[in-house]
Amino acid sequence: MKKWQVAVVMVLAALGSWFSLGATAHAQTYTIATDTTFAPFEFQAKGGKYKGIDIDILNAIAKKENINYKLKAISFGAAVQQLSANQVDGVIAGMNVTPERQKTFDFSKAYYTSGVVMAVAKDSKVKTFKDLKGKTVALKTGTAGATYAKSIESKYGFKIKYFNDSNNMYNDVKVGNSAACFEDYPVMSYGIKNGIALKIVSKQYEAGDYGFAVKKGKNAALLKKFNAGLAAIKADGTYKKIIDKYLHSSEASLTGETASSRTFIGLFTQNLGTIGNGLWMTLELTVISIILATVMGVILGVLGVMPGKIGPAISSTIIYIFRGMPLMVLAFFIYIGFPDLIGHGFKIPAFIAGMITLMLNEGAYTGAFVKGGFKAVDDGQMEAARSLGLPYWTAMRKVIMPQGIRIMIPSFINQFIITLKDTSILSVIGIVELTQTGTLIIARNFEGFKIWLMIAIIYLILITLLTWLSNWVQRRMN
Amino acid sequence: MAKVVVKDLHKSYGDNEVLKGLNLEVEDNEVVCMIGPSGSGKSTFLRCLNDLELPTQGQVIISGYDLSDKGTNINLVRENIGMVFQHFNLFPHLSVLQNITLAPIQLKKASKAEAEKTARHLLDVVGLADKVDAMPKSLSGGQKQRVAIARALAMNPKIMLFDEPTSALDPEMVGDVLDVMKRLAADGMTMIVVTHEMGFAKEVADRVVFMADGLIQESGKPDDVFDHPKSPRLQDFLNKVINV
Repeated sequence: MKKWQVAVVMVLAALGSWFSLGATAHAQTYTIATDTTFAPFEFQAKGGKYKGIDIDILNAIAKKENINYKLKAISFGAAVQQLSANQVDGVIAGMNVTPERQKTFDFSKAYYTSGVVMAVAKDSKVKTFKDLKGKTVALKTGTAGATYAKSIESKYGFKIKYFNDSNNMYNDVKVGNSAACFEDYPVMSYGIKNGIALKIVSKQYEAGDYGFAVKKGKNAALLKKFNAGLAAIKADGTYKKIIDKYLHSSEASLTGETASSRTFIGLFTQNLGTIGNGLWMTLELTVISIILATVMGVILGVLGVMPGKIGPAISSTIIYIFRGMPLMVLAFFIYIGFPDLIGHGFKIPAFIAGMITLMLNEGAYTGAFVKGGFKAVDDGQMEAARSLGLPYWTAMRKVIMPQGIRIMIPSFINQFIITLKDTSILSVIGIVELTQTGTLIIARNFEGFKIWLMIAIIYLILITLLTWLSNWVQRRMN
Repeated sequence: MAKVVVKDLHKSYGDNEVLKGLNLEVEDNEVVCMIGPSGSGKSTFLRCLNDLELPTQGQVIISGYDLSDKGTNINLVRENIGMVFQHFNLFPHLSVLQNITLAPIQLKKASKAEAEKTARHLLDVVGLADKVDAMPKSLSGGQKQRVAIARALAMNPKIMLFDEPTSALDPEMVGDVLDVMKRLAADGMTMIVVTHEMGFAKEVADRVVFMADGLIQESGKPDDVFDHPKSPRLQDFLNKVINV
């Protein structure tokens, strides 16, 4: 009894300190969000560090203007959402300055000008927009390419399919699911130079400016410094050096990968550190979430079988809400929606948001089967215990729970495995766990098959270990 | 005051009235057997006596404690009422010894050592001294029921309630259980027994109560009830159960 109380207090204290850490770190440093897979503007190099035109420009400007910042690499869509929800202070992610976006964001002076091109598979017969009639076009959400393609959709009669990152979009075209994709010229040409099996078949359309963005009416000082810094690095030649470095060299020279590292084993050893970090994050999320979800589930289960109407009503409502909501929606709601609702610059670190998401979702499922498990214990057991004079909670603890938990063990094991797999969904809020690690590695080396195979094998190994552990515990309990 | 006093007891499940106003007093050391057709409300009546069922109306007073009074600590009252169920309801995850010692230890009636000593003694009394460490699932029905009786007795109750204790047993097991109950009765335990064992009722009961349709139809000494039934209901019932 005492021990678990101490554990609960410790978990709560840990949560509290995380929250306050998040708050203090913010007060001193700007958080700048960027995309994860938008080479050559941003991409992860070997060892997990981000590189690219945006990153280097930001870094050079920060040096000139003494800006303290923390880089946060998430998907483009999430970066834009978080900027509007005040979760980050600025975004530099090859973002096109559009009238639409200027309603919500203030932009710096353009630091790059680029146009949209259409790319198709190497052996494709599609040459012009007219050839797209009735076919599917792959687009990345929120990009200039997507806006442009949308504007000519009805004119050329094609269908649209959206992706959250560039690689999945390229691959969809490569394998023939989509006939073409629309992408910014420097990004596409850089990708093709580095091994993407696509070809550019159109000229550049809709030349657009890339700008650094802050939320409208906020962080004016940061924006001013950015503009001043940009002028300074253009004047002293740093800007040109950065552009030349990325647009006129191959990826391998930037990421430090060699030809020999393209075998399965080679890729594995080259990326061991990055994968290890992702794996560790997955394990951390899984273990903490399993503990929290189990605590929550048992509380919900006990409430659900309590005498009276209030306990069961609370239990059913919570289970109904959190079991009925897709995990991804819940993650977005807690990470982006909830701080937006509170306002006042309130932020939740992604890891904490992810943990709460998993706790609520898996906790609701756990609550449902815990309740079921307790109900499956014969009514006569409670009657016999109570007729001996045992109070309700003693009867629950000594008679009903030990029997119920035995019934629940297979469900618990199942839920632990689901929790482990569900951590991968949290990559949408920018947590770099195992799945997101895979996305990031592929973003720079385009080795989709080998890397996903690697990630899949790691998950299978984890689940096998978890199953063994659970079975061992189950045998011990019986 | 009598040990058990029941006044105008009613119990309904929705529109279905199962008990329609019962009155009964049971004295100290008295053994009362309740007989009657299935569905007559005997078990419901018994379960009202230790608050497993909440009466819709009326009063149950055990050793002077009114169960409908909010100030009555029902757990304390239950410590003094042992109950034996038709389906034994042993705790399957606990050994025979643990089944018997759970309540005394949890309710701090005895230290672990004392509780175990008492348990071994009680198992000896019910003839199952060798089953101390057995798990319930390894026992026969008759053995389970005798453990259940020992479990109830471990709390040193003043009253014992038996809810058809032999109805779920194979015929050859019935005798052992009835023997234990007879010994309890002989030792002066106050007992209320819902049963279909007419032989037992005839032999052991101080009073036999016949229930039908949610009411006590007739009650009296065993000889009067079994040999000189007054109401046609009872005559009909006895004809059915005795002259099979």
